[in-house]
Parts: sequence; structure tokens; C-alpha cells
Amino acid sequence: MKPVYLIPALLVALGALSGCATHESQQQQLEDAAMTFQSISEVPQILQDAPKDVMRAGESLERAKRFAGYWGSAEDVIHYAYLSKRYSEIARQHSEQLQNQRRATQLSMELERLRQAVQEARILDMQHQGRWLEDQMVSLAAAETDRGLVMTLGDVLFRAASAELGASANRTLLKVVHFLQLNPKRRIRIEGYTDNRGDAAENLALSKARAQTVGDFMQSLGIDAGRIEVVGYGEQYRVAENASARGRAQNRRVEILFSDEQGRLSSPR
Amino acid sequence: MIKHLCGTLVLFAMVGCASDPAPIEQLRLTEQALNQARSLGASDLTLAEQKLAAAEAAMKSEHYREARLQAEQAELDARLAEARVLNEKSQQGLAELHRRIARLREQLGALQ
Repeated sequence: MKPVYLIPALLVALGALSGCATHESQQQQLEDAAMTFQSISEVPQILQDAPKDVMRAGESLERAKRFAGYWGSAEDVIHYAYLSKRYSEIARQHSEQLQNQRRATQLSMELERLRQAVQEARILDMQHQGRWLEDQMVSLAAAETDRGLVMTLGDVLFRAASAELGASANRTLLKVVHFLQLNPKRRIRIEGYTDNRGDAAENLALSKARAQTVGDFMQSLGIDAGRIEVVGYGEQYRVAENASARGRAQNRRVEILFSDEQGRLSSPR
Repeated sequence: MIKHLCGTLVLFAMVGCASDPAPIEQLRLTEQALNQARSLGASDLTLAEQKLAAAEAAMKSEHYREARLQAEQAELDARLAEARVLNEKSQQGLAELHRRIARLREQLGALQ
């Protein structure tokens, strides 16, 4: 008979024990979970984005509250309060992620619009630069003559007595290539000239070779061969006296004659 | 002594009554959630892993209720870690878009 009496007493003791130790934390957990749940269920966006998680957070919270009404179920209260809080947090994260994704879609469209705008602006800018380059050629490197627009490449662009281009030539010639790319109808005639020192036939050959080198360089950068004429004039058509070193240096040159916008070049000399 | 024994018996009886069947399905779900979070690169999985280990230990000693509670919490810990990592990635995506847009705006400004 003795044990039968003991059972209720033990039950009470057990309940009291677990109840006392955890009652406070149980209450705390329950309040936390309820607050977290309230904070998310107040936000329509979260309800819309994560309805299932919100629902589960609510259900778990209800369960925790129900257990709180019984003695000795602190562990369950804390457990379901914990689950409820987790569901609430998951709902919040999920909704934030979806909002970010929607924003990303909008931004991607804006990005695409901007990309197109930049592309258009770049084309405009290139046309601008083409005009600017043209202006620059007229004002600096090239001179308007009765034969048309002429650009003179000095002797220094070549290695001495050779048809090989020096490194400094590239920059200048690249400008010309760029100009021709932007003005696809224009054509050029490349003319080589020398001073009067040495053999006339050799000079003629050298002048032709230098002009050809310039033409080849432009072709290698994609200018159609049909747009380029190449001529060597040797010692003829000097621009300065051959008596002085300075004058001879001026005579050793390559001239690039530009056609008009329709591609008409003046006839060769 | 007898009192003591009785108390222990009652305690076991109570635990026995309250305990569920072995939560095999829940453990499977938890493992799945953990694997998924891991594969997405979630970093803060320590809590979930500890609870899963505790659940597995409880399973071995046939404390099925404890196993279920631990496993349920571990599952949600893992799902939250996963949701966080996805949210973080979407934020990084947004930041990258903002950067690219700013760069394009700059280019556009320089061209106009």
C-alpha cells in the first residue's frame, strides 16, 4: 500500500521542481516568441511573401501557449516557443530575400537601359571625335593645299636610309587609320619623297618602298587596299633646299593626301 | 531505499508515457535540411549540428521524445541558416547591380 500513497506526492514534487526551475524562462520564451510573431504578422509584405512560415509560427505559438496552461510542460512550452520564433525569423528572411529579388529585377532593367544609353552616347562621341580628328588634322598635322588635304610624315618616322617604320610612326598612323575608319568613303594616296643625295633610281625605289610600308601598315589595321594608292616620286617635288642638312631632312618625307568626302582624290602629279 | 526506487520507477513510467515513437522521419528531414543549407554555403550551422548530434545520441539511448525535440529545433536552425544565406546572396546581388549602375552612370556622365 505504501507506494500508492507515494505516487501523488512524487508527482507534485516533480511538477513543482520542473515548474519552479523553468517557470520564469518559460514565461520569458513565450513572451519573446509572441513579440517576434507580432512583429512579423503586422507586416503585410511578409504575410504575402511567406504565408506558410507565418502560419507555422502562429501555430507553434498557439501550441506553446496551450502547454503553458499545464503544470510540468515547461519543456514543451520552451520548445514550441523556440520553433515559433524560428518560423517567424525564417518568414522575415524569406520575405527580405524576395523583396531583394524583385528590386534586382527592376535594377537589371535599369542597367540594361543605361547600357544602351552608354552605347548610343559612345557612338555619338565617336562621330564627334571623328569630326574633332578632322579638325585637328586640318589645323595641325595636315595642310590644305591645292591638291587637297595633305598630311606630312617626317623623315624621323623611318629608320635612316631604310623603308622600315620607327616606333614613333605608329601613333601618328593610328590616328590616320582611326580617321579612315570613321570616314569610310574617304580614300588616301601615300606619296614617298627623298632628297637628292645618292643615286636617283635608288632614291625613287626608296621613296616608293617607304610609301608602300605606310600603306601596308594601314592595310594590316583593316583599311581596305582599294582605298589606298601608293606612289614614289624620288627626288622630285622638293619642299626645301637640298643644300642644307635641314632642308634635305624636310625633303625626305611621306605625304598622305586625303580625298574629299565622296572619295575623290586629285589626280597624281 | 524503497522510496527511492519507487520514485525512479514513476519517473521512468512518466517519461515512457510522454515519449513518442522513434522520430525516424524527423531525423531524416533534419539531415536533409542541414545538407541543403550546407550545400548553399550556410556558415552558422554549429547550433543545428550540435542539436542533430544530441538527437542522434538520444535516439541511441531510446529517449525518443528528447530526440524529436532536438531534431525539430535543429531542422529549423538549419532552415533559418539557409534563409539567411539566401538573403545575404540576394543582398550581394543587389550591391553588385548598384555598383554596375553607378559605373555606367559615370561613363554616361563622361560621354555627355
